[in-house]
Amino acid sequence: MAQYTQIGKPARRVDALEKVTGKAKYLADYHLPGMLYARALRSELPHARIVRLDTAPALAIPGVRAVITNADFSDRGSYGFPVKDQYMMACEKVRHVGEAIAAVAAETPEAALAGVAAIICELEPLPAVFDPEHALDPGAPQIGPSRPDGKHPNFLDREIVHKDDPVTVLAQCPVVLDEVYATCHQEHAYLETEGALAVPTPEGGVTVYASNQSPFILQGNLANVLGLPSNLVRAIQPPVGGSFGGKDDLNYESSAQVAALALKTHRPVRMTFPREESMIASYKRDAMRMHVRLGAERDGTLRACTFEGLLDSGAYASQSVFTAWRASIHAMGAYKYDACDVEINCVYTNNGYSGAFRGFGNTEVCAAIEQAIDEVADAVAMDAIDFRLKNCLRVGDETPHGQLLTESVGLPDCLRTVRRISDWDRKRREYAGQTSNEVRRGIGVAALFHGTSLGAEGSDYAASTISVEHDYSITLTSGLTDYGTGSRTVYTMIVAEELGINPERVRMLRPDTNTALESGPTVASRSTILGGNAARVAARNLAQVLDLAAADLLGCDLHQLIRSQESYVGPSEELMPWTRVVDHAREMGLSLSAHGQWTAPKIRWDHHDGRGTPYFAYHFGAHVAEVEVDLRTGKVQVVGFWAVHDPGKVIFPQGAYGQVYGGVGQGLGYALMEQVTFANGYLQETNFDEYLIPTALDIPEIHAQFVEAEFSQGPYGAKNVAEPALVPAAPAILNAIAQATGRRIRTLPANLERVLLGHDLPREGPSRQCKRGLRIG
Amino acid sequence: MPRFDFVRAHTVDEALQLLADPRYVSRPLAGGTDVLVLVRQEKPSFDRVVDISRIAELKVIERRGAEVIVGAAVTFTEAADSPLLQEAAGCLVEACLAVGGPAIRNAGTLGGNIINAAACADGVPPLVCLDTVARLRSLTAARCLPVSALIQGANRTALQPGELLTHFAFPVPPIGVRQAFTKLGRRNAQAISRLGMAATGRLDAQGRVDYVRLAPGAVMPSPQRLEGVEALLLGQEPTDSLLAAAGQKTAEAMIAATGRRWSTEYKELAIQALAARTLHRALFGT
Amino acid sequence: MQIEFRLNGQPAAVEAPPDITLLDLLRDRLHLTGTKEGCSVGECGACSVLIDGQLYNSCLVLAPQVEGREVITIEGITAPDGGPNDLQENFIVHGAVQCGFCIPGMVLAGEALLRRKPNPTRAEIRAGLAGNLCRCTGYQHIVDAIEATARQRLSVPADALIS
Repeated sequence: MAQYTQIGKPARRVDALEKVTGKAKYLADYHLPGMLYARALRSELPHARIVRLDTAPALAIPGVRAVITNADFSDRGSYGFPVKDQYMMACEKVRHVGEAIAAVAAETPEAALAGVAAIICELEPLPAVFDPEHALDPGAPQIGPSRPDGKHPNFLDREIVHKDDPVTVLAQCPVVLDEVYATCHQEHAYLETEGALAVPTPEGGVTVYASNQSPFILQGNLANVLGLPSNLVRAIQPPVGGSFGGKDDLNYESSAQVAALALKTHRPVRMTFPREESMIASYKRDAMRMHVRLGAERDGTLRACTFEGLLDSGAYASQSVFTAWRASIHAMGAYKYDACDVEINCVYTNNGYSGAFRGFGNTEVCAAIEQAIDEVADAVAMDAIDFRLKNCLRVGDETPHGQLLTESVGLPDCLRTVRRISDWDRKRREYAGQTSNEVRRGIGVAALFHGTSLGAEGSDYAASTISVEHDYSITLTSGLTDYGTGSRTVYTMIVAEELGINPERVRMLRPDTNTALESGPTVASRSTILGGNAARVAARNLAQVLDLAAADLLGCDLHQLIRSQESYVGPSEELMPWTRVVDHAREMGLSLSAHGQWTAPKIRWDHHDGRGTPYFAYHFGAHVAEVEVDLRTGKVQVVGFWAVHDPGKVIFPQGAYGQVYGGVGQGLGYALMEQVTFANGYLQETNFDEYLIPTALDIPEIHAQFVEAEFSQGPYGAKNVAEPALVPAAPAILNAIAQATGRRIRTLPANLERVLLGHDLPREGPSRQCKRGLRIG
Repeated sequence: MPRFDFVRAHTVDEALQLLADPRYVSRPLAGGTDVLVLVRQEKPSFDRVVDISRIAELKVIERRGAEVIVGAAVTFTEAADSPLLQEAAGCLVEACLAVGGPAIRNAGTLGGNIINAAACADGVPPLVCLDTVARLRSLTAARCLPVSALIQGANRTALQPGELLTHFAFPVPPIGVRQAFTKLGRRNAQAISRLGMAATGRLDAQGRVDYVRLAPGAVMPSPQRLEGVEALLLGQEPTDSLLAAAGQKTAEAMIAATGRRWSTEYKELAIQALAARTLHRALFGT
Repeated sequence: MQIEFRLNGQPAAVEAPPDITLLDLLRDRLHLTGTKEGCSVGECGACSVLIDGQLYNSCLVLAPQVEGREVITIEGITAPDGGPNDLQENFIVHGAVQCGFCIPGMVLAGEALLRRKPNPTRAEIRAGLAGNLCRCTGYQHIVDAIEATARQRLSVPADALIS
């Protein structure tokens, strides 16, 4: 067993002090001399042609300094990957309520708002699509351009997984489940809303500060739409108040808007979002409708699975192609099947638009499949954990995609551990015998697997730079960013471990396209493996130089060096301080600067066949939720929660626990109270009074534990934890509710009405509040 | 250009003068938890606020003879912390503790809660249950109006221009009367009440109900005690089946007042549980 | 109008329009950006401050209402030497900080709670935080930090306090 000085040990989060004292400056705290305030004009119609746009009246408003529209961008302001269908500002038409049409920069926020109100914008309403089930009807209104392949213009994408012939196998199964599950859109609800600040540079370029996850993608997008070479566009990420996948698209747009305004006015321009505008204009987790069929033997052996999903991507593709792909890979759950067919279809509608959110497709499908699995376990009268243990993936198994799992599959251990620590068997038995008609308890389980990093989404690498400064501090960069996830601390710990120094010496620069190396997006829970390995490689490269200098200084061979705290010790047993080794390395003329890159193992996915090796590693986990259901009001209280995860080696324990607690909290909200309602394209929940996220009184004490099934290619055996912490929470809660009430709730959220009545109540959906929300200053 | 001006009143008389000043359209400001949200969403209908939050007379909580007097500017926290109200108005204290979170309770006032008259206002059921009377003063007159009559509908009160709600007064409940309040929301704090219920009650030596009051929240256009339900219980032994019948009658009263609305399918079931349970707590203490 | 009050232990006098919130006064006029704007309708608590020792959402306080009052913001929560006080140090040590945006409000809520309830149960701590939303932490480490501070303060007489 490796003995580490830092890895797996308690550590102080490197940026906690500035945050706890209120000194950390987030985007809205930035204030530069001469700074202008920007505000966008946003569509109040879900689908319309822009017939007339006259921004001149805005310029007549006192304090307004500039106005821009789509015409101010190169390449029609286009962006988007892998489908480039979005615009930094609406192009010829608007496709969702809240889409930006123009933007104003002014001396005060009030003047900017007045400028926006003065713009003459005539929209010709177009018929709209609100029901994804009818988006592909022959007569459905066309939202985007026609497709070159002749398919319906509202069709976006189809992702499949295919193994053998499940329909035939299902016909042979004595036990068949055939059910439809549905999830709701989910709002990220980061406490800090979006924001961007652009500063024009003397060279004719622009520096943009944005609370965006991936500065290099921001830089690339901006260079393209501003018509600038990328070396004149610099993107810097300040501390970010939470993102969870949500600060991409809208922040790309806001960044482009302030950048264009800054270049036009030659002054810094800042845009920040009041909560209402953030909620109305920003993307949500997609809503998905899922038809699941599972077939099993009477002894509980799973045989076949078919899964048909319909993903509402809203007005633009955003990440839906990748969401659908990840959803397809995980739709069948972490189990073995003889035959399996998954098909996820994405369509366009005019319901806002859908983009990345923690879990990224797996959150949606896990909510369905883990309920379906539970229902089959019930049907064969088998304990829900026993059923999962019987069918789940283990080392040596082949997944339904055709991938052989050769290592690091902690799922059985997670299930056995969560069973023990939650006192599952006793409670399950006890709650089965309840007779109360008032309040009942239930306990439920859900398992998960979650592919690590990008999978088939693209090339997967990351890079770090490291150097020793003249004051013996160590400057570290990463192309991956930390928006609350703790990766800055993880990288610091890794560097301290590799160099044998105190972590306090390490100073990470802010993510900055001028100093960091491009490393792909900070998404997909890839920071620890990709960024961690890159930091490790960089630190190893630097360590080699220092080891060489130490050996030279101590007059010994490399293999004779040992470390005592920060000092080097040779055969003479003299303690050589690290700083002296650094000095000596400089005297030797060695470079004290290094970089490291790590590329993920190649994966192979055949989109046509729906088979291959989708991810190079998987995170596994199991959640158990205990609920108390008030059978007469439908109120559900989660009274206990146990989360056991296999993240590989845990590097930063407190950070890992924090991710689990936070993920469970978001899953609890997803399961019980977070409701996004689009009524004719108008968002009904426009602030935190109506969009409810859990308070400290809604989340119970969570018992978390880790099963470290180390992954040989992860840094010190680490995989990840960020997204998986959320994924199984909602189905665990729904399964617990099913035990308590004897009834299944297959549509999220399981709100008061659904728990009590079995269905939600349709409510009035005026547009008034949404429109008003777009005008709040 | 500020949207409105600010002036502070130090006495009720001063407040009334300021409110009556014809040069302005003035609005009283106490805790601000409703007014500041309002001005964010809409252009204010007033051009001056009169801060009444520090008027000593409006902060009293005291017993005067057979009545309890609570000033309109008493905050939810102050009400909940008051030993007098804990003793004499337990259902009101429970309701105050169910509002928002600590910061909202420190700022929000009972008077503001009633004058804002949201359908779901948590102060309403207990005040109505306690037969609370609101004292309204203007420069020229003073009048008393039961809270149930003061509130006429969602965000509508009988308050006249120039009038200020200064006090609430309710009779000290008879000895031995217990009180209870239940709130049903979609989460456990910072929640809009889906349903509310206030009850007071007492059993005689034979275990029969000799005192009962019941007032629901978030279900009636204009709040009222459910006297029909009370009549069902008076003089009876409150068995489970009688309390269930009381619940049913509560649901019927709700539908009679509002007709069937989109939320009725849910509320008519849930309110039965709230009524039965709140009554049980008021009568038995558990 | 002129608003005179005490801010973080010092007298303050600010010229400001009558219709702005205390939050705007602190952030825009006094450039104290530690207090955050999360929702502006009193739901999230990111704007929490202490006024006369009690917790308020500064987004719902009209600036003139602090006339003559004692206001404490996150900038005023420090140890005597200017570093983090015991509660803030516990936030760090117990892993309570992730993205950090809710944290100033949480620290203020924690201080307000410990003034009212020096020996709170975990349930009481959660009730004290009920008006402060967090999306990252699931609240658990924050509860740990406040609980640890309470225990320490009870065993050490009145030392680790707000300046």
